[in-house]
Amino acid sequence: MNVDSDSDISISDYEETENTVSRSKAKGKGKATDKRKKDKAKRKPKDVQAYTWEANFTRSWETVQEDEGGSLQGAVNDWVARGRRKRLLEPQNAIRRTIIRHMVLIVDLSTSMMDRDMRPTRFALTLQYAREFVLEWFDQNPLGQMAVVGMRAGVGERVCDMSGNPQDVLKSISDRHKLEPTGEPSLQNSIEMARNSMNHLPTHSSREILIIFGSLTTCDPGNIHDTLDQCVQNRIRISIVALAAEMKICRDLCDKTGGQFGVAMNEGHFKDLLFELVPPPAQRALPRSSNAGGGGPGGGGSSTNPASDLMVMGFPTRLPDTSPPSLCVCHSELRSKGFLCPRCLAKICDVPTDCDICGLMIVSSPHLARSYHHLFPVKPYAAVASFDAVADVSSSPSCHACSKPFPTTVSQNVADGMSAIGRYRCPDCNTDFCSDCDVFVHDVIHCCPGCGK
Amino acid sequence: MDGSHLSVVVDLSPSQWHLSSLQNQPYPLDLSSFISQLLAFLNAHIASRHENSLAVFGAFPGKSVLLYSSADPPTETPPSDANSFPAFRLVNSTIMHNIVQHLEALDDSSDEEAPSALVGALTKALCYINRLTLEFNASTANANATEGLEPLTLSDPRVLILSVSPDQTASYIPVMNSIFSAQKLKVTIDACQIYGSETVFLQQAAHLTGGSYIYLERRDALLQYLTMAFLPPPSIRQTISVPTQDKIDFRAACFCHKNIVDVGFVCSVCLSIFCQPVPVCSTCRTKFPIKTLQRLNAARPSLPLTSASQSRNPSVSSTPQKTNGRSSATPSRPVETPLGPGGLPHSGSINAHNINGAAHHGVQNGLGSSG
Amino acid sequence: MPTNDSDTLDDKNSITVSNKPHALLPFLQLQSATSLSRLYQSPSSCLSIFRLLDSVERQLVMNLLWLESAISLSTMGAWVVQEKKKFYDDALDILTRLHILHVHSGKLSLNTTFKTSLRHAITGGGSTGSFGVPAEKDEKRPPMDVEGLDGYALERWETILHFMVSSGTGQNPTRPSQGVLYLLQRSGLMSNQQGSTPQITSTGFQFLLHRPHAQLWDLLLQYLHMAEERQMDLVEVLTFFFMLSTMELGREYLTENLSQTQKAMLDDLRDYGLIWQRRASSRRFSPTRLATTLTSTSPSLPTSTGMTSSSQQGFIVLETNYRIYAYTDNPLQTAVLNLFVSLKYRFPNLVVGSITRDSVRKALNNGISAEQIISYLTTHAHPQMRKFNPLIPVTVQDQIRLWELEKERLKSQEGYLYTAFASQADYEFVLNYAKQLDVVLWENSAKRCFFGSLEGHSNIRNFIERRISGAV
Repeated sequence: MNVDSDSDISISDYEETENTVSRSKAKGKGKATDKRKKDKAKRKPKDVQAYTWEANFTRSWETVQEDEGGSLQGAVNDWVARGRRKRLLEPQNAIRRTIIRHMVLIVDLSTSMMDRDMRPTRFALTLQYAREFVLEWFDQNPLGQMAVVGMRAGVGERVCDMSGNPQDVLKSISDRHKLEPTGEPSLQNSIEMARNSMNHLPTHSSREILIIFGSLTTCDPGNIHDTLDQCVQNRIRISIVALAAEMKICRDLCDKTGGQFGVAMNEGHFKDLLFELVPPPAQRALPRSSNAGGGGPGGGGSSTNPASDLMVMGFPTRLPDTSPPSLCVCHSELRSKGFLCPRCLAKICDVPTDCDICGLMIVSSPHLARSYHHLFPVKPYAAVASFDAVADVSSSPSCHACSKPFPTTVSQNVADGMSAIGRYRCPDCNTDFCSDCDVFVHDVIHCCPGCGK
Repeated sequence: MDGSHLSVVVDLSPSQWHLSSLQNQPYPLDLSSFISQLLAFLNAHIASRHENSLAVFGAFPGKSVLLYSSADPPTETPPSDANSFPAFRLVNSTIMHNIVQHLEALDDSSDEEAPSALVGALTKALCYINRLTLEFNASTANANATEGLEPLTLSDPRVLILSVSPDQTASYIPVMNSIFSAQKLKVTIDACQIYGSETVFLQQAAHLTGGSYIYLERRDALLQYLTMAFLPPPSIRQTISVPTQDKIDFRAACFCHKNIVDVGFVCSVCLSIFCQPVPVCSTCRTKFPIKTLQRLNAARPSLPLTSASQSRNPSVSSTPQKTNGRSSATPSRPVETPLGPGGLPHSGSINAHNINGAAHHGVQNGLGSSG
Repeated sequence: MPTNDSDTLDDKNSITVSNKPHALLPFLQLQSATSLSRLYQSPSSCLSIFRLLDSVERQLVMNLLWLESAISLSTMGAWVVQEKKKFYDDALDILTRLHILHVHSGKLSLNTTFKTSLRHAITGGGSTGSFGVPAEKDEKRPPMDVEGLDGYALERWETILHFMVSSGTGQNPTRPSQGVLYLLQRSGLMSNQQGSTPQITSTGFQFLLHRPHAQLWDLLLQYLHMAEERQMDLVEVLTFFFMLSTMELGREYLTENLSQTQKAMLDDLRDYGLIWQRRASSRRFSPTRLATTLTSTSPSLPTSTGMTSSSQQGFIVLETNYRIYAYTDNPLQTAVLNLFVSLKYRFPNLVVGSITRDSVRKALNNGISAEQIISYLTTHAHPQMRKFNPLIPVTVQDQIRLWELEKERLKSQEGYLYTAFASQADYEFVLNYAKQLDVVLWENSAKRCFFGSLEGHSNIRNFIERRISGAV
């Protein structure tokens, strides 16, 4: 649910993460965190609490300031104010994202995965999280495709071919008996296999490898650094979530290809590391100079980006469940529900897919529309400082969106960027909103109720 | 806590309602009889449960207004009367008063009427539900929110859109954004197109939020449709089903000319949709390779469907089924659908022929002031 | 896992609770068709009864409300999801028994009186005056404001409850009026022994643990039963209840249009705290919140003095070690807790106690069931407790239930032991007969004896006598 909001992190998300992860803001002993701090696109707090016995004892209740009335409103306002300030800092430019993603998920299936330091075992936990990851990933990257490769007994094993259907991928990793861990892992073999399966992909899509790695060794037939160089050449981004400890080669793989590396400290941290890779990597339309680590393949950011292309897509019509059954082109089965290709009118069971008859890429338009709020963000509202600004305009006594009455008194000690009279004004339509609606409009709706855009 | 919340978005575009009341229409319906049936429906919602809450938003040309909300009821209450329920009187008189006031305030000077601010009203409705949710959380257990548990949500909040205007293609992105925020708030969007052509956007809104969409053909049976399809809150719909949708059109509006297209050209970086090949993406300024452009342009003549037409041109090869289904001019939906074994009827089969015209019955409260 | 168990249990509970029809509906079903149709002449009654119905029933009524002609059963049935057919059938059944719905040669239609009245209620109009005739504003004597009404209702209601709970404890709380006392005794909530002070009965104890809303309806139902005996016109009594429930809080109404019966009821209702009058002879009355929320489902009663907001959210914190902390200064709530908690400390705003075997057994002996204790704790749990799932610690829940089971290890039943049968055939012959009557409690064929319950004895004796006399 948190990760649902792509990169536009909402206040509530922020709070939740902060609360669940660490109320005490204990700086974990996270050696893995430094890398991610550099990444500006990610703004979630990363100071994840380490094992509880390692954490410093902090009096979390003392960090919360009560006002003279004993209320915590001040502390809450601070959160809101931080969100507002952050939004004002954001550039107005549209964000570019590689939304058409291709990912190979490489799962370590070596004997080290049977360790019980994560309950019930590393292996069982990995499978469970992988399933959740796949669902979430496809939910946010509806046009993406994913393959799964297993590392065991010194070779890479194809578990699931590149597919755009989450059910296919889920099915392949649902049966744990087929994936029983044995032997040593081989990073090189598996990466080579993944690389080969992504070689033919069009340039406009991203190529990513995500490795869940439990072992501390790798058993390779050749020089893994050659493989690394080829990956850099092919613009493949490698990210690794290690379950044991940091290895030099893993760190190198990630750093050189522009991926992320992290060592999971406990079960919760493991999941966090994994789910950070769900939202599509963001790139700015105009290159921001300091975007060092996140650059990588396709992130050159020049306006003549070779990795972009214009694609033809069709938006289908969905047939109702009660329509007379007819044959579908994908399974040749009689079904009543399905989608009609707009070009050749072939009946297809599921979208997104390529039409088997005319080859048109068929997507449902809501899939595309999910990312549009990045393109046309709502302008930040200006905080109305005092009642002087209210008097001249024929302003209403209540919020323009939710009709909540505005406070009539000036509140004291407001945080920076907040309005003392609780009003926030849209620069376009000059209507006033309350602070709740300000947050809601910018973080969830992405559409100003006053001007309707 | 137990009551369900209903926000109604009413399209009050005078010109569309004028068209709808013309006698040459099949089943003409004018604004005042529509409002009396609407009020009967709203009263039925309030009647169902003491705790039910209600908000009504009006979409006037160019502006959207909150007509009534049960959270902040108006201060002056209408004079009480022994023959009617006080809550109903309050709703009826407030809504009537506000509608009349805003319709009179409309600017008649310009020739062309601005399109109804449906999107504004819809986003307001969502903001309002968000406010209720926040207030609900604050009042019951704010412990939940601070302890990192999933915040409680209102049970069954929903939005009903009663539209008479055609799709406004310029509002494609706001509508889609509203749909996604409705999904996030777990709000069901129901939609009823009372007059005019089918709307692609409202179909998608209802489909994506699990609501019900009805294209009203028998407008004399409006109240019966409203009652059967939109009165039951989502929890009851698991027992007594509501009309399901026929086809859902997943077409989108292009960014360049705001046309509704079924085959579009999509920027691979930002996923903007264009109705014709363009050299540079207008949204993210990405330049596309010349080769692609040439290839696409060459292939274009064979694509029959990229012209700037609102309705899908039935292509030469299309089956008759398609032509019927898509063009709104020839309604082909049967009024009585034979039911398959165990299958549920769809929207066509609400039994409309023996309806008491609630329009004639009239809602007496407050209607006097409508003039 | 215990957690799961109790989860499912909670689910079941919630389902049964939500499907339980309102307490008044069975009473209405017992009434004759003529009196019901007299009742349905009043739009406010129709509206109130409509609200008391279950959600599916309400939807069915609404679907039929605007139709002029009957609709065939199959058309209506087509809208029902097959798996939920049972709810639909139940709903039809209840509506039919309330004479709201007629099923006639495969066609469904609403009772015409009901239909007309409900339409009137929803659209307004008509001239029945069933929503009460409001009084003109009197400048000299402004009506009681809402807080005043709440306070009054609360004071009256808690007087009744407090009187019940402290009877027999030696305290002498304010006695409610004679009419209330009579009602309490008639309804079996309190017993009157030899003219001494009334004592609370086990039904009374159970009553105390109900939600306020249910308590109110319990009393009103008793009032209805009593009204039958007092030769009052039931329809008028009911109509008045429903009229009250649709009235507006904080407004004054005139008594002039009320019938004689209804005027007579004013005194009683004033005692219960449902209405407020300046003087007993006043020509105006104001309904209190108790009255106007009669048809709502949630307890929107002002349940405690002073701290209305916190009490609505609950005040009890229960720990896994059976300790209970109740943030209340309300003597009534303390007294109710005292029924099943052994109280340890009392502070101005806090009562501390613990749930012990003895305290629970005391409650069980008073006729309170374990489920009632648990549901009371659940209803009044502090907001801080609400973040736990399950809300009441499993250990405590289970232990309370175990204590209840402990009490039920032995169950005595009167009956007769039949022994010394002459032959196995005789024995089996009689036993078979007894089994057909379903009166056998225990049998032992080796010893040729069985034990039959009391009610079967005469039959069995006759049977044996006939057998001996050779008739069979």
